[in-house]
Amino acid sequence: MIALPAWLTDERLSAEIEPLLRQTDAESLERLAAEAQAATLRRFGRIISLYAPLYLSNFCSSGCVYCGFASDRTSPRRKLDAGEIEKELLAMKALGIGDVLLLTGERTSAAGFDYLRRAVELTARIMPRVAIEAFPMSVAEYRALAECGCTGLTIYQETYDPENYEKLHRWGPKRDFLERLETPERALTGGIRSVGIGALLGLSEPVGEALALLRHARYLCKTYWKAGVSVSFPRIRPQEGGFQPAYEVDDRFLARMIMAFRTTMPDIDLVLSTRESPAFRDGMAGLGITRMSIASRTTVGGYVEAETAGASQFEVSDDRSAEAFCAALRAKNLEPVFKNWDAAYNNPLPAEERA
Amino acid sequence: MNALRLGSYTFSSRLILGTGKFSSVPAMIEAVRASKAQLVTVALRRFNREQAEDDLFGPLSEIEGLTLMPNTSGAATAKEAVKAAHISRELSGSPFIKVEIHPNPHHLMPDPIETWEACKILAAEGFIVMPYIPADPVLAKRLEEVGCSSVMPLGSAIGSGQGLSTSAMVQLIIRESSIPVIVDAGLRSPSEACAAMEMGCAAVLVNSAIAVARDPAAMASAFAKAVEAGYDARNAGLMPRSGSAVATSPLTSFLGASS
Amino acid sequence: MSTIHITLNGQKRELPSGSSVADLLKLESADSLKVAVVVNEQIVRPDDRASHLLQKSDQVEILVFAGGG
Repeated sequence: MIALPAWLTDERLSAEIEPLLRQTDAESLERLAAEAQAATLRRFGRIISLYAPLYLSNFCSSGCVYCGFASDRTSPRRKLDAGEIEKELLAMKALGIGDVLLLTGERTSAAGFDYLRRAVELTARIMPRVAIEAFPMSVAEYRALAECGCTGLTIYQETYDPENYEKLHRWGPKRDFLERLETPERALTGGIRSVGIGALLGLSEPVGEALALLRHARYLCKTYWKAGVSVSFPRIRPQEGGFQPAYEVDDRFLARMIMAFRTTMPDIDLVLSTRESPAFRDGMAGLGITRMSIASRTTVGGYVEAETAGASQFEVSDDRSAEAFCAALRAKNLEPVFKNWDAAYNNPLPAEERA
Repeated sequence: MNALRLGSYTFSSRLILGTGKFSSVPAMIEAVRASKAQLVTVALRRFNREQAEDDLFGPLSEIEGLTLMPNTSGAATAKEAVKAAHISRELSGSPFIKVEIHPNPHHLMPDPIETWEACKILAAEGFIVMPYIPADPVLAKRLEEVGCSSVMPLGSAIGSGQGLSTSAMVQLIIRESSIPVIVDAGLRSPSEACAAMEMGCAAVLVNSAIAVARDPAAMASAFAKAVEAGYDARNAGLMPRSGSAVATSPLTSFLGASS
Repeated sequence: MSTIHITLNGQKRELPSGSSVADLLKLESADSLKVAVVVNEQIVRPDDRASHLLQKSDQVEILVFAGGG
């Protein structure tokens, strides 16, 4: 058994949302929705901030059973070169996007740190905000990315159940549960300003995952009190490889989980991606969710030539255009915001200012 | 009750008593005994041979299991507070110091900048530093970072009896702090002390409300019960407040029927 | 007998030359109390009080604990 950090097992940190998650009746759901909506409105108003992912590379050294990019998948491997990255970014910019999440697989020689650093540098010249979702790095590496203009890191623990984690991650650098768990802290120590965490819902028992995720968010907020912390709610989607999740996470549970997070952590961004259906996304916008991805391609590249982009990490469910999605938000009296950050703030926090 | 931990010290009582403003030393001693407090604050004063009976060290040292927490009141700057702390440690033999720096003699609001300076120095010197502060969540984290053993945000102005007028800010401090949060100043009634404990405070510090009560010992005992009740209630898990009424046009109809 | 002048708790005080801190405490009837003594900003610990001789113009503070919140 590995020694888990105290916060991960401290049930007191998540006790108040457990009853909310275990209820199943419609009335309690509706009541929770009303509270979540009120809490969202108070803190965030009617703003939904938008971002878009750009998959730089699907080279990967890990064997995550649930992922379309796992190293035993036979689909062709590809990475964008500098010219291609620029073209993709310009195509994204034309859609109005100003906040980009750059993605890669686990570290490989084809797509390693230097490749990612150059991509961040390039992106920061074109987009006001750059965040990454890539392989775990050292404090020094995060520091270097922060200096190039990277202000955010997204990293999902996938599952907070260490035994299940070991089974699902068959090989590669990602096998180390604790190393991954500590990654957001290394990024913040390196001067990255905000971190996004999440569990890939469906891999382990959902209530336990939700409680552990809440504890993680609370711990980060308390310890790195100057950092931005956001929580995402990815559900497993169909992907190449045909993985069948062990647990079904239905819409009602996912909605309940998001709304419970909102009522208990009123100040943090809660994020929903295009993994979810248009109906679910439109319904949850403003009911707790404050940040959403838009017009996503989950293939390498894909904004320039959508048709020829090859295998995806997972299937997108909401494939509406940026325009159509914004119109849907406006119809709900919500304001989509494409630029919520300015590059003037891109410098990493100086050492003495970091928590 | 679980123990209150401050530095390497543990206390079963979560009521800290101030010893000022009492009508007499015996009245104060009686109140301290009735409160079952294990930590009391004292202030440094010049010795006056005409009022030698006002010295508190002797009478307080007769109460078993009592630890003294000298304050730095009178200090208007960090430098003065550090000096007062050194002299106080000499006298009390205890590492506790309540850092209290109020440059304005009327409203007695603590100076956050001088307080932070003094705390940084005293924590590095090994004191158990307990700063009296405005209810400011950022200042509280800054003080935690420099090694304070607790933070003591004010409920309202010293001696004002306005209760927990800073309630929302104190709740933020509690949510963010990794060190005990103790409400100090402004409490008037035991119910307010109880509310502070229910909110998640680790302890409360009370002085005026007890000292100026018609029967200080009885009031001290009432505060002790309230603090204990509030602490127990917090641990027992309060029932959630009833939420908003269910909307007439349901917010969750997009989710379809329950599966 | 020669004397010196010191300042005690902000007031002028005349003492016999060669008086120690311990002598001063006795003179002030403060020797039975727990007090802190500060001479020219330096704390004089109990063990040193008999041997610490006061000099002309010394600034002396004798401090005790009083009530405070």
